[in-house]
Amino acid sequence: MHENKWIPTVCYQCKAECAILARVEDGVVREVKGNPRARGKMCVKGMAGITTLYSQERLKKPLLRVGERGEGKFKEIGWDEAMGIMEKKLRELMKRGEGHKFTYSMFPHSTTDPKWRFVNAVGGFISTGLPHCDSAKIMAHLHTFGCFPNHHIAPMYYTVPRGGIMILSGRHPFGCLDDACVPKHILDAKERGAKLIVIDPIFRTEASKADWWIPIKPGGDAALFLGMASHMLKKGIHNKAFCDKWVREGDMEGLAAFLKDKTPEAMSTICEVPAKDIIKLAEMCAKAPSVSIDAFKSIMYGNAMDWGHAWSIFLVITGNLDNPGGQPLPEIAPMAPVKPAPPAPNLKELGYHRTGPNRDKFNHYNFILEPTWYAAQAVKEGNLKVFFASECNPALSEMGSGEWRKAMTMKDKKGDYLLELFVVTEILPSETMKWADLVLPDQTNFERWELLYMPWWYNFGHTAAVCQPVVKPIGESRHANRVMIELGKRMFPEFFAFKDDVEYYDIELSGVGMSMQKMLDGGALWSPGTVGFRKYEDAGKFNTGSGKIELEWRMYADIGQQWPSPELPLEFRRDADTYPFILVNFRTIFLNNTGAWSQNNAQLRDSVSGLDANPLLLNPIDAARLGIANGDTVTVESSTGKVRIPVLFTEKIKPGCAGLIHGFGQTMGKVASRGKWISDNELIADAGSHLDEQDLRGGEAHVSTRVRIVK
Amino acid sequence: MKQLSIMVDLDRCIGCKTCIVACRNHYGLVDHEKSMPGTMSHYLRVESQCTGSYPNLKEDYWVVMCQHCKKPPCIKACEAGAIHKDVQTGIVLIDKNTCVGAKKCIEKCPYEVIQFDAARTYAHKCSLCYDRVIHGQEPVCVEVCLADALSFGEREILLMHADAAGKKVVKKMSTQSILYVKSPG
Repeated sequence: MHENKWIPTVCYQCKAECAILARVEDGVVREVKGNPRARGKMCVKGMAGITTLYSQERLKKPLLRVGERGEGKFKEIGWDEAMGIMEKKLRELMKRGEGHKFTYSMFPHSTTDPKWRFVNAVGGFISTGLPHCDSAKIMAHLHTFGCFPNHHIAPMYYTVPRGGIMILSGRHPFGCLDDACVPKHILDAKERGAKLIVIDPIFRTEASKADWWIPIKPGGDAALFLGMASHMLKKGIHNKAFCDKWVREGDMEGLAAFLKDKTPEAMSTICEVPAKDIIKLAEMCAKAPSVSIDAFKSIMYGNAMDWGHAWSIFLVITGNLDNPGGQPLPEIAPMAPVKPAPPAPNLKELGYHRTGPNRDKFNHYNFILEPTWYAAQAVKEGNLKVFFASECNPALSEMGSGEWRKAMTMKDKKGDYLLELFVVTEILPSETMKWADLVLPDQTNFERWELLYMPWWYNFGHTAAVCQPVVKPIGESRHANRVMIELGKRMFPEFFAFKDDVEYYDIELSGVGMSMQKMLDGGALWSPGTVGFRKYEDAGKFNTGSGKIELEWRMYADIGQQWPSPELPLEFRRDADTYPFILVNFRTIFLNNTGAWSQNNAQLRDSVSGLDANPLLLNPIDAARLGIANGDTVTVESSTGKVRIPVLFTEKIKPGCAGLIHGFGQTMGKVASRGKWISDNELIADAGSHLDEQDLRGGEAHVSTRVRIVK
Repeated sequence: MKQLSIMVDLDRCIGCKTCIVACRNHYGLVDHEKSMPGTMSHYLRVESQCTGSYPNLKEDYWVVMCQHCKKPPCIKACEAGAIHKDVQTGIVLIDKNTCVGAKKCIEKCPYEVIQFDAARTYAHKCSLCYDRVIHGQEPVCVEVCLADALSFGEREILLMHADAAGKKVVKKMSTQSILYVKSPG
């Protein structure tokens, strides 16, 4: 094992997977920092990763449930027994012809994650949390100009020119989840004369650094951008040359007709941004050499597809595609396939996707993966029988997580659980493991091999990085990838003929002329060093059906969604008298959402270096109206949930909104269970059983929630 | 005057706390296995101030570490003579071998930055990474700062850099050796 030196590897305290260096001394990780070859930054969560590695609460042996689900009672078992339990149940499922009733909730670290291969071999579906959070952005950009940027692919702030405009609309990049170098890049761009515009109902750190903070009614982003687009077309200040060259014939005329009544004045009544400010921002953007837009929380509301569509249209009419300071059109690294590969089952025919009342209509928007938050409904309906989970915490992180927990414990007439087997891999005790039948001790990034190349795009184009073990594993922990490869070798030897995970990555890397050894010799990083700009100029086309930019989504004409509606999400437009406040849930850099490994990290829950409290944030104007004093404990109630929580007054939130940080509420783990803080998902409705209009207008995540507050 | 310093740029500090944890890791201040929140020593902390009322708000963030005072009250308070201001660098250092654990320095420190190791009965604090800077390295907090808000060097040179960048010294915060600067307005 390496000693007394800085070893290049990759962080995994969040999904951004930043390249880091780890200093190992006497076989112990002492320090970590950003890798200077990859812009050299690492955030507080990453720095605290050593505490996760060495926490006394690390799970060290496989655990088998001995009580009922939810009781959290387990006994230690050996790995052979654990593997046997999984193999037996999956073989039984496949024999019944129900392989598609198996799902694995994970965050794939690459498009060919070995766990994904295993799931395909069984005939099941992978399900995820993260890519779904902004699936509407992904789908909107795919539909309009044919590219696939997820929320880890922020605008390239290091390319923003002097005078360029950086718009953050419901996005907190200083909280990371992007590469850790993003905050520095935004501040650097500002210093060289770019403007930072923050559109947000909450005044966060980003707003404090902004040239202009524009408080907005949550969900009003589509209206705001349509108002700007309307003004630009009316005044003729859009990028006409770009549109003439690249937009599909007839679409600009269609857009002009659609936008005619979406005036700044009309849109102002929806988004609550003054019309003069909509005009001012539109004219700033029209004059600027570049405009980038980044959004995250706003793209999780019930009108997410409309917002994604409006956002895409705005980028097009300002000519900000694949240009310095604009919207990147990323490519995926051309890794070599590991053959033979099991075919993926037909998601549309067999998937449990979208079980809401408008299922048939919503099929228009089918995403490429299953969202984890439909699992509860799928279990209730008998469409999900075996559930594996890694690097996710659905008992807390799923919208309407109470329904998820309920589904885990539902039984048939014979007294058997509807969900026949639930397996979770985990580093530290998690809320989710309370409901698991089998808990497998996973490894941290300091103990495992992994090849990463998806979120890596921010750094110099399609890039790869190697996560390598720098210390010996704790206990009998095994990385989930290795567990699934071993299970794959038992069950599907034809698809798992490679020696191990390292050889698997070797084969993939041959696609870019690399191998694991060459990667390690070269500092564990590979990149062509450029992303390229205006790649459509070289190709002579966009990656759409027509080869042109498609502003009108003609395939949705039958459901009236060919142009984006400016209306707020349905959840914000109804029951305003009963539930007068809009819940604004957001993230912080000090805590990695509901991930058990950061919730249970002492440094991240320490009030000096992290966050140890999650009160409800209210503007004093609202509090006075309700007769509430600062610090009072109040009841917060939505149409589906009710909690008791202390209030903290702040001027930093728009009146009419109630703020709550996402990432509290765990009852497992000595650190994570501190305090009586709650998870925002206790108030947010379950996706499967509470969908209506957002089926048609929304993305796959939908957090739009109204609440009432009672002393 | 010989005085090494850190300059904190309020235009860039985002209060992310990365420096706090990096510093703890470097100096081994945390028992990763057993430490619980609220019990861990720290050589830096983040402070912030929000002014105005909705929607006209301004907020600054900054870090507070040992200010390496010009006339350190901790030195005067320490009857054991365990604290001195290094002549070559202006860094205020505690000799933990001489420290008897009387905690007088902690009582007298106006910045509340001195920590106490109860198990080994000595006071400890930010040394401006003395052992690094004398070998040409930057302090850990400066090296890892996520936003490049911290810079290290001779105090007078840092002042010159701030002036060249059009930044003003926040005088009421910069009365000792650590500098706090921001753009006017």
